[in-house]
Amino acid sequence: MTDVGRHPRIELLTLSEVVDVQGYIGNFRIKVLRKARYVDEKECTACSDCLEVCPVTKPNEFDLGLSTRKAIYQPFPQAVPSAFVLNLEDCLGNNPIACGKCAEACDLKCIDYDMQDKEVEFRVGTVIVATGMDVYDPTELDEFGYTRFENVITSLEFERLINSGGPTEGHLIRPTDWQLPKRVAFIQCIGSRSEKRGNPYCSNICCMNTVKDSLLIKDHWPEVEIKVFYMDIRAFGKGFEDLYKRSKAAGVMYIRGIPGDIREDPEAKNLILLSEDRNEGKVVEHEVDMVILSVGLVPNSDSPIIRQLLTLSQTSDGFFMEAHPKLLPVDAPTKGVFFAGCAEAPKDIKDSVTQASAAASRANILMSAGKITIEAITSHIDEELCKACGICARVCPYHAIEFDKEKKLPARVIEASCHGCGACAAECTFGAITMRHFTDQQIISQIESALGENPQDKVVVFACNWCSYAGGDFAGISRLQYPPSVRIIRTMCSGRVDEKFVLHAFKLGAPIVLVSGCHFADCHYISANRWTQKRVEKLWDKLEKKGVRPERLQLEWISAAEGLKFAKVMKEMEELRKGVTMEEIEYTQKEL
Amino acid sequence: MAEEADFKCLRCGHRFKAPYSPKDEPQERACPQCGSNSVRRIKEKAKGK
Ligand code: SF4
Ligand code: SF4
Ligand SMILES: [Zn+2]
Repeated sequence: MTDVGRHPRIELLTLSEVVDVQGYIGNFRIKVLRKARYVDEKECTACSDCLEVCPVTKPNEFDLGLSTRKAIYQPFPQAVPSAFVLNLEDCLGNNPIACGKCAEACDLKCIDYDMQDKEVEFRVGTVIVATGMDVYDPTELDEFGYTRFENVITSLEFERLINSGGPTEGHLIRPTDWQLPKRVAFIQCIGSRSEKRGNPYCSNICCMNTVKDSLLIKDHWPEVEIKVFYMDIRAFGKGFEDLYKRSKAAGVMYIRGIPGDIREDPEAKNLILLSEDRNEGKVVEHEVDMVILSVGLVPNSDSPIIRQLLTLSQTSDGFFMEAHPKLLPVDAPTKGVFFAGCAEAPKDIKDSVTQASAAASRANILMSAGKITIEAITSHIDEELCKACGICARVCPYHAIEFDKEKKLPARVIEASCHGCGACAAECTFGAITMRHFTDQQIISQIESALGENPQDKVVVFACNWCSYAGGDFAGISRLQYPPSVRIIRTMCSGRVDEKFVLHAFKLGAPIVLVSGCHFADCHYISANRWTQKRVEKLWDKLEKKGVRPERLQLEWISAAEGLKFAKVMKEMEELRKGVTMEEIEYTQKEL
Repeated sequence: MAEEADFKCLRCGHRFKAPYSPKDEPQERACPQCGSNSVRRIKEKAKGK
C-alpha cells in the first residue's frame, strides 16, 4: 500500500466515491466525489497533537469496536496517506468551531473546518474492480449467542485481538475477564454452506484461517486447549494440507459436527456447547472459555451501486460475474473492466494477488496496444431508417447505443462496446438495425430452408450460441438420441430472436417453434435474455388473439452442461408437434 | 403477504400460483410439475377462460 502511495504514476484517491461512469473501453469518464478530510493530507505529519486534545471518544471501526478512537484520527496504523482525518459527524456538536481544540493544537495549521467535498472527473482506458467483500453478521443465528454472550466473538474480532497492533497488543484475552482463555472453540461454516440461513456457498477462506489461528495460539500459548467444530475441512491449496496436519500435531482437536446450541454459565461466563461428534456418533457436551465463530464472506454492501455504474452482472451468490468462468475469469462482461479479489468471489490473499496481477496484465495489454480488435458481429444502425425512438438504447445490456432523447437524432452504436447480442435488432420495429453475420435475411433464409419441405413434420428451434446450442452439442457428443424433426437455428443470444422470425416460421407452416437460451444467471450478455422472455410472453398474447394456440410457441433455458435436458426437451417438442393438426397449421398460415 | 399471480405451463397444462409483482425484474420460471420454462402468466381478464 505504501508503495502504491509513493508511486509517481499512481494516483491514490482515498475517502472518495465513484459517482458516475460514462463511456466505454479506452474512453471511460469517471466522476469521483472526493470527500472533505478537513485535514491537509500533504501537510499533516500524523504527529498526534490534535488527537491528544480531542475530547470525543468513539468506537474504533478498524478494531471492530474493541477499542476507541477520537473524532480526529488515523483510520488504522498503516493507512495511506498517513494523514489524519476528521469525522465531522463525530465532532462536537457537529460544529468544529464550537470546540476547535484540534486546530489550536496543530502547529502546522493543517486543519481546515471549511474544506468542501469536491467532484473530479478522470478519463481512463480500463477499470479494475477491487471492491472487496463484507463479512457475515452471525447475530441472526441465535443459537450461537453472538452479541448475547460476550465470550462469543467472530473470527474477524479474533484477528484484531491477536494482532500486535490491536487493542490488546496481541495478548489473547477473553472479553469478560481479560484473562487468557484456557479452552477455546472455533465453529466453522458460520453463514456459509447453508441453504436455510446465511449463504449456500463455501466462503473459501474460513477453514484455513482457523487452521492458521489455531497454530498462532499454539505457538504463543501451547497450554490452551483448542477444539475446532467443522463439517469438513477444506485444505485444498498449496501447502494447506501440511498446515492442517501441523495444527493437528500441535494438539488442536478437530471434531466433525457443528454445535446445535450454545449456553452460558451465568457465573463463570463459560460456554457450554452441545454437539454431535459425527465420527464417534454420539452427542457430547463441551465446556469452553471462549467461542470463535468462523464467519463467512458476503458480497460488499455497495456492490449493487458498482454493478449499476459499470453495467456488470452478478452470479446468484451476489458476487460479480466474470465474462467466462473458465476462459475469461478476470474479465467483466463489459469490455475494458476487470476484477481483482473478493469482489468476484470469496478468495484468500494468494488468489487475490494472482487475480490482481492477471487483471493488471489484462488491462496493460489493452493499454499498450492502444487499440482493440472487435468481433465482426456487431450491430449497425441505418440512420435513414432510424426513427429515434430510443428502444434499442433501452434494451442494450452494455449501454453500447448512444441516443439523445432531447435532440431526437438517430441512435448510434459504439462498436467498441457492442457485444453482438442482437437484442437491439430484435426490438427495433423499424428494421433500422443490422446484425453483422446474423442479419434478418440470413436468419430468414435459414428458416425458409428448414421448412422448405414438409414443414408440418419439423420443429424450429432457435438456440443461443453459448448455452442451448452448446447443450445440443453436448447431447450429440454424449450420443444422446433426439428426434430428427428438430431444425436448429443458431443465434449468438436468444435476445436476437425477433418476433418476425417466429411469425415467419409459423407462416411457413411450422407446427412448433422453440426459443431457447441460457438460464438467467448464465446469460452471456448480462441480461439480454430477459428481453427474450418478454418478447415470447408478448407473442403468446398475440398468437392467442389471432386464434392460434400459444402452446405452439415454446420457451426453454438450457445450459451448455445440460445435454440430457436438451435431448429431453427435443423429445417433448416432437410430442407437441404430433398434437398439431393440419387444419391448425393452415388456419395459422391464413391468419398471420 | 407477497403478491401472487396465476401461471399456466404451456408444456403440460399445469396451473399454479407463484409470487409475482409487476414491479419485479423478470424472473426465470419453471413449471413445478414438469420443469418446463414455458410458463405463462394468466392475466386477470383471461382468468375465466
Ligand atoms: S430502436 Fe430502431 S428506430 Fe428506435 S432508435 Fe433504435 S435504431 Fe432507431
Ligand atoms: S447487439 Fe447487443 S450489445 Fe450490441 S448494441 Fe445491440 S443490444 Fe447492445
Ligand atoms: Zn409443466
